Amino acid sequence: MDNNIKAVYIHIPFCKHICAYCDFCKMYYNEDLVDKYLDALGQEIKNNYKDDKIETIYIGGGSPSSLNMNQLDKLFTILSIIDTSSLKEFTFEMNVKEITKEKLIFLKEHLVNRISIGIETINDKFLSLIERSHTKKEVYDKVMLTKNYFTNINVDFMYGFPNETLEDVKNDLDFFKELNVNHISIYSLILEEHTKLYINKVKPLDDEVESNMYFYIIDYLQKLKYNHYEISNFARAGYESSHNLIYWNNDHYYGFGLSASGYINDIRYSNTRSINNYLEGHYCIEKEIMTKEITMENEMILGLRKIKGISKQDFYRRYHINVNEVFNIDELLEKGLLEEKDGFIFIPLDKLYLSNSILVNFIKIG
Amino acid sequence: MIRDIIIYGDVMNRQLIRNFSIIAHIDHGKSTLADRILELTNAVSKREAKAQILDSMDIERERGITIKLNTASLKYNYKGEEYDLNLIDTPGHVDFTYEVSRSLAACEGALLVVDAAQGIEAQTLANLYLAMENDLVIIPVINKIDLPNADIPKVKKELMDLIGFREDEIILTSAKTGEGIKELVDAIVERIPYPKGDDKAPLQALIFDSVFDSYRGVVISVRIVNGKVKVGDTIKMMETNATYLVVEITINTPKEVKKQELVAGEVGFIFASIKDISDVKVGDTITLANNPASNKLPGYKPMKSMVFCGVFPIESSKFEDLRDALGKLKLNDASLVFEPETSSALGFGFRCGFLGLLHMDIIKERITREFNIDLITTAPSVVYEVVLTNKEVLMVDSPSKLPDKSKISEIREPYIKTNIFTPSEYIGPIMELCQNKRGIYINMDYIDPTRVNIHYELPLSEIVYDFFDKLKSYTKGYASFDYEITGYKASDLVKMDILLNGEVIDALSVIVHKDFAYNRGKAVVEKLREVIPRQMFEVPIQAALGNHVIARSTIKALRKDVLAKCYGGDITRKRKLLEKQKEGKKKMKQIGSVELPQEAFMSVLSMDDE
Repeated sequence: MDNNIKAVYIHIPFCKHICAYCDFCKMYYNEDLVDKYLDALGQEIKNNYKDDKIETIYIGGGSPSSLNMNQLDKLFTILSIIDTSSLKEFTFEMNVKEITKEKLIFLKEHLVNRISIGIETINDKFLSLIERSHTKKEVYDKVMLTKNYFTNINVDFMYGFPNETLEDVKNDLDFFKELNVNHISIYSLILEEHTKLYINKVKPLDDEVESNMYFYIIDYLQKLKYNHYEISNFARAGYESSHNLIYWNNDHYYGFGLSASGYINDIRYSNTRSINNYLEGHYCIEKEIMTKEITMENEMILGLRKIKGISKQDFYRRYHINVNEVFNIDELLEKGLLEEKDGFIFIPLDKLYLSNSILVNFIKIG
Repeated sequence: MIRDIIIYGDVMNRQLIRNFSIIAHIDHGKSTLADRILELTNAVSKREAKAQILDSMDIERERGITIKLNTASLKYNYKGEEYDLNLIDTPGHVDFTYEVSRSLAACEGALLVVDAAQGIEAQTLANLYLAMENDLVIIPVINKIDLPNADIPKVKKELMDLIGFREDEIILTSAKTGEGIKELVDAIVERIPYPKGDDKAPLQALIFDSVFDSYRGVVISVRIVNGKVKVGDTIKMMETNATYLVVEITINTPKEVKKQELVAGEVGFIFASIKDISDVKVGDTITLANNPASNKLPGYKPMKSMVFCGVFPIESSKFEDLRDALGKLKLNDASLVFEPETSSALGFGFRCGFLGLLHMDIIKERITREFNIDLITTAPSVVYEVVLTNKEVLMVDSPSKLPDKSKISEIREPYIKTNIFTPSEYIGPIMELCQNKRGIYINMDYIDPTRVNIHYELPLSEIVYDFFDKLKSYTKGYASFDYEITGYKASDLVKMDILLNGEVIDALSVIVHKDFAYNRGKAVVEKLREVIPRQMFEVPIQAALGNHVIARSTIKALRKDVLAKCYGGDITRKRKLLEKQKEGKKKMKQIGSVELPQEAFMSVLSMDDE
């Protein structure tokens, strides 16, 4: 197993506005709190980071772009202890409204080379449902502005809104096509507990309609030369996210910040979601040692998210055992729940939207 | 753990012993009352009194009912003399009539406990009659007099009118406040006769209960009728002829206390390192090997199993564990019967017979909880009498055992007569319910102008499923229900098969009345469509009489089961989600390519009125 740590995730939990569907760890932006938070974050990184050569960094949230210039400066000063001599990809998440020329230039000067923008939709009906207020023009202008400085841009696309039609999906896609960025992530709206939408008892879209949308989107994006490389991710050639592939390849990574989780020395850990505990330096709340069995299960659960699937050879190289000897692959192949091609095992496209029903076969409990 | 070793003062005078049990409806406060009696007699201090001490099984505490027998021996000083009061606990539910009769046979008296707000219930009455047949002295008690809606005069009148007690016999208590408890315990001493018996005669000890203790083997609960037994004696079971050396004798105060001997009139526990559970039969008589009694005590008539169902382990490798579990449960529950059964859908399991539905539920729950075996049980069935064309008569306890239609000349099914106690305003809904269940009206007794006892004749098969629940909901819980078996009657019955994906699932077949078959079929396929989760492909459901399909429906294919967004932080969470999904899957039985939950097997009893 490759236990080198080559990736860092950093969580910035602050938002100027809380979206109605979001169940990530977030809180309202407060200048004073952000400063204290950055101090604690700096301390956490200092305590744990062990001089590894880092290849990918991802700063997500919340809204990292909610930080003002001073705070950004402070954040990147903290990050300067990270060895970036081998850095390949450095992503920074931005809110449409918070994209400014000044911030973009600052980020570019500080090694950031990938911007991820949460657009979700440009349909007014759904924007007001999820409580986002950007306009089509605003989105277009901001993305074009970003393109002046970055070529590696991801945009988030959301579908499956209540009462959404395939026509609505197509309208949004037509707009995303115009943006012509190199990476698109697609998500269906999930009515998570503790979100405004859930509390307001918003009725979810019918599964069948949603499933049809999913396959429609795949088809649409593939025609535009986006390569569908993971359940939810599409990229032009060479723009697959290296950082996200760390997760799906079941590799180790640091997770810093409130609610962040990481994977070091075969231990998966989660940080506290309590800001007060975090500020007091009680960072980690849960640790779980990954046994070889669990690691192999995770390898499947995560690896089968990739459209290409899992390389049998890589599996053997990592675990010194054939994947067929660990899991009942043959039965799943026989049932048509998995397919095999060129030494890779993968979930067939038409079963992708049922992947949990397939992945559950790799879990051994009790 | 070191147990307290106290040599309890042996009672030489039988006149100072009182053996009694408590008859009460569920919820009428029997266990709490028992606790108060234990407190009064200082058997337990208030401080250490865990609520409801006698109910020791988890399920008993949770359901608030008593299943297994429990005995407590208490010291009570009355007018300067120290009495031994043996409280023998009884279950309150109609299913356990057999167990009630066992505990009653070990007693000379019983407390009849009635809730001051609810009055007498049908099941209480059934157990009371049982006690009266055993010639027990009955002490009527109105409990929960502290309740704001207590109607003491009304309940008193019921006790007098219905059973013929005198007003001055009735004792008023509140187990909650402790009011009347002393008066009650005094009445136990004053009114219940001391046990008869002869210490000098050869030993005759009635086994009225037994449980298996993994450290000490079989624990036998006995009532010494004649003679005495002491540690070191070699005892003999008169029915099985097995002999054992008595290694220990104890009583519960309710703490376990060692004794040297038990004499005529006493109750207690015998330990004799018995490992073979089949040697000990409840109802058998224990005597001494070197001085045996000439005859056995009458024992009990075991109740006949009325309800049967298939019990299958979800994991087929647990079949032997299941056999072992059933064997251990049978030890103190002779009414449980079982024999191996094979189902093409469910594999190897057992056809089990129960006294009733609650009994069935409890056994199922105990197997799952105490033996950790996940089960699938098929819909309960009664025993049909099938007359073949060659005049041969078959007893059929499972739809899958029903012979081919062409060989049957007649099918008879068991009927019951009901006692439904209800406030008179619910007569209409109850009659409607009974009518829907193929009931035949017999008559109605007015207990007083507001309460009535309704008698119906009903096929037993119609009440094994949801009759009791329906009755409760139709009457807002005010009606109570009891029944007796009246015999077999011919009915126009047919076997209805259920097909999933075009295949007959034998474990889902059910015997129904022909006139109800269409509606039943419709209701069943609809219910199955609801309870079977969507699978990765479409599953057609059909109900059929022979080759004739009478109802159909379709479970649509699952279209979405995916966690689209999966960031770094979600890995543990995603895993947990899948683990939960896996847990759910473990509770399902894979039949062919379809996964069925437990509810699917019960849904064949669905009625179209749901």
